This record gives sequence, structure tokens and C-alpha cells, in this order.
Amino acid sequence: MREATSARVAHWMREQGYDARVIVGGLRAWERSGYQVETVPADDLVQLPKFN
Amino acid sequence: MGDILSLISHHGYALVALAVFLEAIGVPVPAALALLAAGTASAVGKLRLGLVFASTVPAMVTGDALLFTLGRYTGWTLLGLLCRISVNPETCILRSAESFYRRGKMTLVLAKFIPGINTMAPPLAGSMNMRPFQFLRLDAAGAILYISAYVTAGFVFSGFFEIFARGIKNAGRAVEWAVLVGLLGYVAYRLRLYWKHRMYRVVPRATVGEVKRKLDEGSDIVLADVRSHGYYDSGASRIHGSIRLEPNTLAESVKTLPKDKEIYLYCT
Repeated sequence: MREATSARVAHWMREQGYDARVIVGGLRAWERSGYQVETVPADDLVQLPKFN
Repeated sequence: MGDILSLISHHGYALVALAVFLEAIGVPVPAALALLAAGTASAVGKLRLGLVFASTVPAMVTGDALLFTLGRYTGWTLLGLLCRISVNPETCILRSAESFYRRGKMTLVLAKFIPGINTMAPPLAGSMNMRPFQFLRLDAAGAILYISAYVTAGFVFSGFFEIFARGIKNAGRAVEWAVLVGLLGYVAYRLRLYWKHRMYRVVPRATVGEVKRKLDEGSDIVLADVRSHGYYDSGASRIHGSIRLEPNTLAESVKTLPKDKEIYLYCT
């Protein structure tokens, strides 16, 4: 299912009283349309363990 | 088993090596069964045990090395792809990585025996910057252990497997029923997923054009990125001006969000 995560999260948020909606096609559709994107800030990156 | 044994006897080493290689790269083929059959074929003199090892160990290590290299050079992209088929894709990468790191490098030696982990372990090792020679050493040990276990079982219990194969032939009707029940179970599972996702369809949706228009008009809306996968590689991008909403800790993350504004969510 497309937008599976966003639809699931939006459904849960609406149950909590938020006016959540889903962007059809997600980030890929946004990028394909040539709209502006930004690099994820370093603080928001999830650091995973590394062996070296 | 009877058909597999016959196939192995005729096409020999190449077929077993191919099955092992395909399984190593994530294709769901019954490599363990092929190895058992190769062991049985060796016991009855159809194959030579040494050549079974000489063909299958390199095949398995080659497949694993391929995924290791892909993991190393694609970062978390390959894992994201593999995780999409998991029950919970959002937590799959993070949990796999943490578990792999916590349990240590020796996981690689035993990974072949654990369904799911067997395919994930090599790209995980690559993504987590394990040294190639260290990987090859541990992976080869794991491959030898795995192949030895099944080939030896096939060799030692060759008589039992022949009886088992004959039993399967005689119980053809029962096998057909088992396949039918399996298929019905799969259809029921897909229907359950369909109904589960069906309730999500009531969630309002907007096209990227509509959202962009609202932004251009100066509407006070919130854009929230609910991906997990996009947040593991430095240089990952997101919609300009959006915030992060961690899908694994939703209850905590949404507390700061306003209830009187439209919140537009997106994933990959």
C-alpha cells in the first residue's frame, strides 16, 4: 500500500483529535514536482552503531 | 524430497551451488533441502562430498559478499528495501542494527540458521562498516557450519530421507491438501491486510500541488515527515520547512503539535 506509514500515523492522529492528512505520493512526488527540499539537519539524524 | 534428490543426482553440484547462492541473496529457495539432498546423494555415491563443499561454500560466501558490498556502498538503502517486507518496516532497520551490534560479530557465524537474519546480516555488516576481511572470515565460518550441518544430516540419515521421500510420494493427496490449505491461509492473510488498510482510506489526502498552493498562499499548516528510513544517512533530504515525527514514538512526538492546524504527513 502506498503512503502506508503516513496513512497509519494520520489515522491514529485523527483519533487523538489532530487534523492530520496525507500527502499523496510522499517525498518522491514532491521531488518529482521540482518543489524545494532541504537536507535533514544533523541533529535530526538517527545515529546507528558502527563497528569502526 | 524425492524430486529434489533426483534433480540433485542429475544436475549435481551446479544446482546445489545455485540454490545456496540464491538463498544467500534473499531469494526464497529451499537451499537447506538441497543441501540435505546433496548429503544423501553423497551417501549413495551420486555426488562427492568434497566437491559439494567446494561448490557450495564459495557460492554462499559470494552471495553474502555481494549483499555486504551493497550494504557498504548504499548505506541504509538496501536495508530499507529488505525491511519493507517486514511486519513493521519503521522499526525494522533500527532494531536489526542494534541487535546485531549488541550480540556482536559472532552473530554472522550463526545468522544462517535464523530465518530473516540470514539475509539481513551481510548488508548490516556492510552498512555498519565491518572490515571486509573480518566479514569474509566470519561469513566463511558461518557458511561452513551451515552447509556442514545440513550436508552431514543428509549423509548420516540418507536411509531415513529415502523412506521419507517414498512416504511423500505415497502421500501425494495429503501434500495437495496441505498446499491448498497453505494457499487459502495466504489469501486469508492478504484479505486481513486489505481490510486493515481499508480503514486508512478514510484519511483525507492532498496532492503535492494542493499542499504547495497552501504554502504559497501563506496558510498556517504543518508538514511532518514520518519516515524512519530517510533519517539514517547523512545528506538525506526532506520537504523544505517540514518537521520530523518519529513513527516509533508517536505518543510523545505529537504532544507539541497544534490541534487547530492542518498537519500534512508524508513518507517516502
